[in-house]
Amino acid sequence: MEDNLLKVNQMTGFVLKYGQEVILALLILVVGLILANLVKKFSRQWLGKMTSNRTLISSVTNILYVLILFFVVGAALQQTGINTLVIRRILIGTTLIFVTLIIIFRHYIPTLPYKVGNTIKTGELLGKVEAMSLINTRIRTFDGNTIYVPNNKVLNDYFINYHVTPDRRIKVDVAIRYDQDLLKAKQILEILMISDPRTLSTPRPVVWVLNLEDSYVKLGARAWVENLKYWKTQCELFEKIKLRFDYEGIEFAFPQRDVHFYHGAKPFGQPDNIESEMMEMA
Amino acid sequence: MEVKEALKIIDEQWIRKPEGFRVHFQKLVDVDIITDYVPGTDEELLDSDVVAWRLAWKLSQISNKANDDEDIMFYNIYVVDDLGEPVDFYATGQPKIFNPRKE
Repeated sequence: MEDNLLKVNQMTGFVLKYGQEVILALLILVVGLILANLVKKFSRQWLGKMTSNRTLISSVTNILYVLILFFVVGAALQQTGINTLVIRRILIGTTLIFVTLIIIFRHYIPTLPYKVGNTIKTGELLGKVEAMSLINTRIRTFDGNTIYVPNNKVLNDYFINYHVTPDRRIKVDVAIRYDQDLLKAKQILEILMISDPRTLSTPRPVVWVLNLEDSYVKLGARAWVENLKYWKTQCELFEKIKLRFDYEGIEFAFPQRDVHFYHGAKPFGQPDNIESEMMEMA
Repeated sequence: MEVKEALKIIDEQWIRKPEGFRVHFQKLVDVDIITDYVPGTDEELLDSDVVAWRLAWKLSQISNKANDDEDIMFYNIYVVDDLGEPVDFYATGQPKIFNPRKE
């Protein structure tokens, strides 16, 4: 009983002695955190007007936030009377070591091979990267869905980053009937690709005869365009090919079979005495 | 002649790759015939002739419903390239003019 009373008295004495400083320190901490969040928010908005580089904006605002937090915590500790000199030295030393290690071993640090703003395809998912965190990546598909993909799911499977290379090849395969003018078809395809300002001159657009199939000749038109213009250019090329071929009288192929009827005449390859041979076999 | 030189001559003389497209049209303002372009001459060109011809067609459709409203009566609507030269209609490879009208 007396021990408990002693402890209560000690605590009361402690609170009376240091209570004001602790309350002030907590106040500094709370105000500082609010201030840090406001600064982060406004700096993000301000930087967003100056540049579209989201990675840069994110890095700068996070560094600002951490610095303000650093000073706020230091001021709060200072208010409580704790000598922050040692803590500051430890923090600065740790930061320097950390930064040095990152610089030396940056090539070995695993990172996601895409940035915010890249268009990627992971599995069946195609969309633009809106945000990245340590755990997941936020992707917005082209039909407006926002999907959160765990980073390990992305890294454990192959995926395509359409921003690694600036150009992409358009592939348009066309099937025409055997009785159509092949050279004319090739010429039209080549003209349509060359006259489009979006196709690159190097590598040049080309047309190949890919195969002689059962009921059609397969032509392959290939041209390179900038990544951003790929889909629209390809769609319009399909449209142009269809309309021009129709106008020029070049017919597209469709699956078909030729059936030959023989009226009275012996079919080619059939032996003269087929009936007697069939009797012998039976 | 090197292949490179030959290809360069071919690129210049056979099919010119335009830098972009505009829609050329004319309209009657009082008694004057004004020639204008969409997009304007100080604006960025369209990079697609399909889009340009579609725009030209839509302008012609407006004109068909104009009912003597001179503000939206457009004539001689066709697509031109960056040099102002008429561009063949992509579906036929032939010149095409919507709402032709002789001056």
